[in-house]
Amino acid sequence: MKIALHLIHWAFVLVMPIVLVGVVNRTKSWWAARKGPRIVQFAYDLRRLVGKKPVESTTASPLFRAGAYVVLIAGILAAGMAPMLGQFAPIRFSHDFIVVAYTLGLGRIALMISAMDVGSSFEGMGTAREAAFSTYAEPALFLLIGTASAATGMTSFSDLIGHLHNTPYYGIVVAPLVLTLLILLQAEAARVPVDDPLTHLELTMIHEVMILDHSGPELAAMQFAAALKMTLYAGLIAALINPFNPVTSPLYCVLASLGLMLAVAFVVGCVESLTARLPMRWVTHYLMVASAAALGCMVVIGVGVSN
Amino acid sequence: MNQLILAVLALLSGAGLCLLNTSNRIRAAFGLLSQVVSMLLVWSVAIPVLMGGPAVAGGIAWAYPIGAIHFRLDALGAFFLSWSLPMTLLGSVYAVGYLQKYFQGTRHVGVHFALLNMIALSFVLVYTGDEVVSFLFGWEVAALAAWQLVIWDYTNQKVRFAGFNYLVSTHIGLLFLVAALMILYTHSQSWGFGEIGRWMSRNPGTLRNVAFLLLVTSFGLKSAFFPFHSWLPRAHAAAPAHVSALMSGVIHKAGLYALLRFTLLSGKPDPWMGWFLIAFSVTSAVIGGLYTVGQRDLKRLLGYSSTENVGIAGIGFGVGYLGLAWNSTTLIALGFGGGLLHVLNHAFFKCQLFYAAGCVYQIKHVIDIERLGGLFKLMPVTAVCFVIGGVAISALPPFNGFASEFMIYSGLFSDVRMGIWAKLTLCLVGAVLAFVGAVSALSITRAFGVIFLGNARDTRLPEGHEASRWMLFPMGFHALGTVVLGVVPVAGFVLVTHPVSLFLRAASGSAQVAALQSVTGILSRIGMISGALVAVVAIVLWLRSRRTSQLPDKNQTWGCGYDAPTARLQYTGASFSLDFSQHFRNIMVLLKREKAPVGYFPSDSYVITDCVDAVERRLYNVIDHGDDTATDLSRRMREDDPRLAFATGLAGIVIIAALVLLAEGALQ
Repeated sequence: MKIALHLIHWAFVLVMPIVLVGVVNRTKSWWAARKGPRIVQFAYDLRRLVGKKPVESTTASPLFRAGAYVVLIAGILAAGMAPMLGQFAPIRFSHDFIVVAYTLGLGRIALMISAMDVGSSFEGMGTAREAAFSTYAEPALFLLIGTASAATGMTSFSDLIGHLHNTPYYGIVVAPLVLTLLILLQAEAARVPVDDPLTHLELTMIHEVMILDHSGPELAAMQFAAALKMTLYAGLIAALINPFNPVTSPLYCVLASLGLMLAVAFVVGCVESLTARLPMRWVTHYLMVASAAALGCMVVIGVGVSN
Repeated sequence: MNQLILAVLALLSGAGLCLLNTSNRIRAAFGLLSQVVSMLLVWSVAIPVLMGGPAVAGGIAWAYPIGAIHFRLDALGAFFLSWSLPMTLLGSVYAVGYLQKYFQGTRHVGVHFALLNMIALSFVLVYTGDEVVSFLFGWEVAALAAWQLVIWDYTNQKVRFAGFNYLVSTHIGLLFLVAALMILYTHSQSWGFGEIGRWMSRNPGTLRNVAFLLLVTSFGLKSAFFPFHSWLPRAHAAAPAHVSALMSGVIHKAGLYALLRFTLLSGKPDPWMGWFLIAFSVTSAVIGGLYTVGQRDLKRLLGYSSTENVGIAGIGFGVGYLGLAWNSTTLIALGFGGGLLHVLNHAFFKCQLFYAAGCVYQIKHVIDIERLGGLFKLMPVTAVCFVIGGVAISALPPFNGFASEFMIYSGLFSDVRMGIWAKLTLCLVGAVLAFVGAVSALSITRAFGVIFLGNARDTRLPEGHEASRWMLFPMGFHALGTVVLGVVPVAGFVLVTHPVSLFLRAASGSAQVAALQSVTGILSRIGMISGALVAVVAIVLWLRSRRTSQLPDKNQTWGCGYDAPTARLQYTGASFSLDFSQHFRNIMVLLKREKAPVGYFPSDSYVITDCVDAVERRLYNVIDHGDDTATDLSRRMREDDPRLAFATGLAGIVIIAALVLLAEGALQ
């Protein structure tokens, strides 16, 4: 049974990025009353990119190409440790959430260095924004984990998320924590209202402007990694809501997780269709909402336990 | 024990030989040789102790009034000694390359090497001293030698000022230390650390608390904790690169050593001490991190990041203090173990970054990041060493900074039973540490991106090329250490195991073993993940380079439709940090000078942003103001006024009475 769960988790890691991007795009076309691309269109796009001969800037150093693969591999490693199916992850040990956060951090620094490598003013601007916003996003994740850690007394990521269901505070904290994760998803995976993947104006981009000079297989790696980050956070949201335990009722759990992740993608698509991106100066405030929600949960648990 | 005395003699005679009237080359050779000999001698004593052997003790008879000098080398001292001396040696090797152009000239380079020997000597004295006199003597030797090393370029007034600033600050720290030691001496009636420790562990209370605060202040000044850091960025920017590296990575770790030494001596601490230390360290980490963002001078940036990193190590020690206070072996092992490992890791990557900065400075003669750019292709070894150090300093896997910060995080998010608010506070500290990590990733990306990537911004600077092998070797060695300690963090933990056991003394044998083993278990996982990460990335890159059909075509950078880009269009360091720093205007003082372009064909316009130290600014304001007030006061007071004489007498009596009360009665 364990082996099946391992396989399903890794299948999620590899397939869900494509499906979730498809669902988001379909949702957006549905709101716009268009037919929209196929659900797996992203896979065709990736295949096309992988077959292409890339063009690289003459300014670029060897770090430029290496960066794309570091981003991809770091993303895959982090997704292997994130408990997307509830209280289960293929790689788990105590305090593995630190490794998840910092592996994503490695991916981020590799992305930023590749962007700085071509000496373009636009890419420098995107990097500065990414770096500044990530300082606001990073604490939110740790505050969320702190909440779960105080409530459950556990130490591994999957136990923290999985056991939260059994604590008396679950009903109160689940909504704010989901909000925290949703905001983190939008920030880390470069979605509206933090960033707009479809904008054509370089001045308003964050993630897309950083990969302006990537092409061919390297662009495919970067795009898949971004979709993978969305999958990771969608999976965490699913695990937080998912009422089933992957060990005792695996089938329901996997199905619920799948459904919830698709639902998250639908919500992301709806947000993208119905709202515009925020002005840059408001993005930090938006990200602080994530931290504030998690901090509020911590206080709730503090008051709850001490009474 | 004899080896230690021999090592001291070797260093002293080496320093003497450096001053001989021969060529600079021979003087440097004497210095390096004596350091190698003393390093081997010290290793022959320190390594057995570090690997669990009994502590080595001894003494030398000395004339009145000192009596006898006592030495004692336990695992904690052995840990610090075992890497301090080799790193000083590497720094001296680097100096040969860095000072190359002075070797042929008339300048006496031997003095510099003699001073480096004195630094090594001070380590032996401080890390083995078992009583106040030899400890303070070593402390002072380190301070004076470091001051002399900082003002190598003494013809520059700014450098002399930075040196003087350092000298004054470090002696203010010494005053606090002497005050604490005097309190302890009056009560324990002994200069020996053993007696002082016995008194401290038997008498917890106000006096011990006062001594603790004085000691933390003094050691905080030595290790450049906020707000006692204002001397640091100036000194680091002014000193030669290897001196900055040694000061930041090695010499100022003596402050942390001394803190741990007195922790071991003072017995079980109160919980408030742990919380105080955590609060003090968190402030340091945050402010140090924020200040790295705005700096234009790469060495100043690295200097501030020292304040940040001692703060991170201090958080670990604070967790260890809580563990001691609450009798939790897990917290002790994770806190002190993580803190000590971070000290070692920081020594590795910080020296490496300073060496890289020195390579850039030696070739380009500037260290202002806004004027550099595109050095990767000209100095690939330096650039790769810098990026490895940069990833390590941002505590990212797979390098060593991650392993130690992982341990400190594990201590903060532990499953040890404690009050809920204590637990939540520690989690909050964890979130702040995450913020600090993201900030240091920002500032290191900024520094690396602007200096090494893109195109050269100022073509008037000399053509870039790789620095001499004397400089590349120490830097490469440190980089190797950074990678090895990241992929095999257990190797680093082996070094700190026995020092940590000293803190675990109170616990039973089996509890000690269990606590240490669980940490080793976690670290070996971290090592496997880091190793796998390195291996997979290497394999993927190798496979990618094999696909020759898809090797890229070259073209110019995408300019968003603009076809005539220049190097000046690139993002600058100031613009990079603006997005972030505009939210922290209250903490970071950004001075902006600008001349806006006027007319349709503006000829001259500029914007210059400088991030100055808020503490230093405030300090000078207060000193300035105080100076004026004192002058004003003395002008208004008249010497023959009897009221003034009475008031002075009264104030004197009050102060003496307060001192008597503080000392709990008349002294014997």
